Amino acid sequence: MNDGTALLVAEHLTKRFGSHVALDDVSFTIREGITGILGENGAGKSTAMKIFLGLLRPTSGVALVLGENASEHPRVRARIGYMPEHDCLPSQVSAAEFLTHMAELSGLPPRAARTRAADVLRHVGLFEERYRAIGGYSTGMKQRVKLCQALVHDPAFVLLDEPTAGLDPLGREEMLALVRKTHREFGISVLLSSHLMSDVERTCDRIVVLQGGHLVHAGEVTQFAAETETVFLEVDAHREALVGALGRRGVRVSLDGGGLTIEGSDESVYDHVRDALVETGAPLRRMAPRRRALTELFEREERSA
Amino acid sequence: MTGTVFDIGYRSYAGAREGRRRGWLAVYKDGIRAALGLGRGPRAKVLPWLFIGVLTAIALVMAIIAGAAERMMGPGATERLDLPTHSDYYGIASIIVFVFAAIVGPELLCRDRREGTIQLYLVHPITSTDYLGARWAAMFSVLLAAAWLPQAILFLGLCGGDPSPATYFLAHWLDIPRFLLAGLVVVAYTVTIAMLTASFTTRRAYASVFLVGLFAITAPFTIGLAQELDGPVAQWISMFSLTDIPLHVNDAIFGKVSEMTEHAPARALGTAVLVGWYLAWTLIPATLLWSRYRRLAA
Repeated sequence: MNDGTALLVAEHLTKRFGSHVALDDVSFTIREGITGILGENGAGKSTAMKIFLGLLRPTSGVALVLGENASEHPRVRARIGYMPEHDCLPSQVSAAEFLTHMAELSGLPPRAARTRAADVLRHVGLFEERYRAIGGYSTGMKQRVKLCQALVHDPAFVLLDEPTAGLDPLGREEMLALVRKTHREFGISVLLSSHLMSDVERTCDRIVVLQGGHLVHAGEVTQFAAETETVFLEVDAHREALVGALGRRGVRVSLDGGGLTIEGSDESVYDHVRDALVETGAPLRRMAPRRRALTELFEREERSA
Repeated sequence: MTGTVFDIGYRSYAGAREGRRRGWLAVYKDGIRAALGLGRGPRAKVLPWLFIGVLTAIALVMAIIAGAAERMMGPGATERLDLPTHSDYYGIASIIVFVFAAIVGPELLCRDRREGTIQLYLVHPITSTDYLGARWAAMFSVLLAAAWLPQAILFLGLCGGDPSPATYFLAHWLDIPRFLLAGLVVVAYTVTIAMLTASFTTRRAYASVFLVGLFAITAPFTIGLAQELDGPVAQWISMFSLTDIPLHVNDAIFGKVSEMTEHAPARALGTAVLVGWYLAWTLIPATLLWSRYRRLAA
């Protein structure tokens, strides 16, 4: 598939549950690669995914997966995979049996399904555990089985809903590595939903940001990261003087606990900080780039809207 | 000695994709395996195979008694003594079939919803109707096999027990299509009621207990109430004995009243009403069940 081919298309997508608007006239296009869909809980990420999968019908607008509407043409689902956020694994059966079943469910003949099940379990490091009942697996292992079932039929595209949910830091790293591997080694494009900017930044090429059902941003992750990065500064004395000196240089600065937060992180900001520190003689204790919390980002978007 | 470890890497799948038909078969096959506890731990196998064993044992006992009577009291003893045979089997075994259904129905539907697996089924190239149809067909197949097998054993036992097996076969071969058809009738009704009940809860135990209670309580309750009353009211109350509903059709198929229904006032309403009542109690729950699962999909 060419880089420019649209895998998912949302056009003026709206979904209402009674009076609650989960998605409000959202339009975006997802192309090959790893795309993150970022938003707080209730932002509309899972709703968008379910509409793409055909599990929900939009109130209005169009949602196309690989050029087709999944609720009208279920056959397109044979070429997509889905990893839900919540529990979805049967406790009684082994991973090998479950994945074989899932592969057959996507249309693979039984023998090919068994081979694919063993292959994907090997790729996620569960080959040795494949005959154990899933109910006895750890949370991390269950997450990997969930990823396997989305990949077992070799889809063109997978939708991963909060794949790091409930994982410890090591498990999170491993899962994000598997997500990167899914695209870079397996050649399967990914839509990753998360409420953690750090997950999206480390894994994705592009990003779609939703807030309260509205599209806030769609574009390259690097661009979004640069736009939303700040510099955190802590000085031992003369803090007010430093704020004044930065303000005179046109730098947007705000008090943040015992320190200062400066908008932007390009080179000119560091130059201004250096000059202001020299001018005021404020002894520098700490200076580091910092990502805004998601809530801060959204508050900023609301203010600018 | 040195060796080389080869990483064969990820292999894309370029083989056949058999679409919705294969998906349906996968759900059906998984349903049969789940109903019989195959591919699950030992505990999952205990109940289904116990019920199949009990159903078969009932037929074996009936065949042994009938065979012994024929040998000891001469040909035709089974009819003279009015010993239970094919027309009575489903009546005698019905409570076992109902309890078996009360275990299997929730196992097939409740677990998928409780564990969230249903959402995976619905994002594959099958519809909610395919899923439900395959699950229904799987349960129907298992229960039908469990109902037909003892009848086949009974027929073989009665043939073998008769001093002249060939004569017995020629005189009674029509029992074979009758017990096959009656089995279809009993199982279709039982499976549909069990699955409809299971569709209302995610907890298997609640559905199973409710179903056993439903089947076990309605019969004595309606019979007791019907005995206190008389006429059409008693007949219609007796119609609500859930265990008797398919047995009246069984009687119509065999052209003979079985031991379980001979005292039911509902018999007076006639075959057409009883068959219509059976169809209503099978098709309406089936439609309700289908509509409940339709709502799960978009």
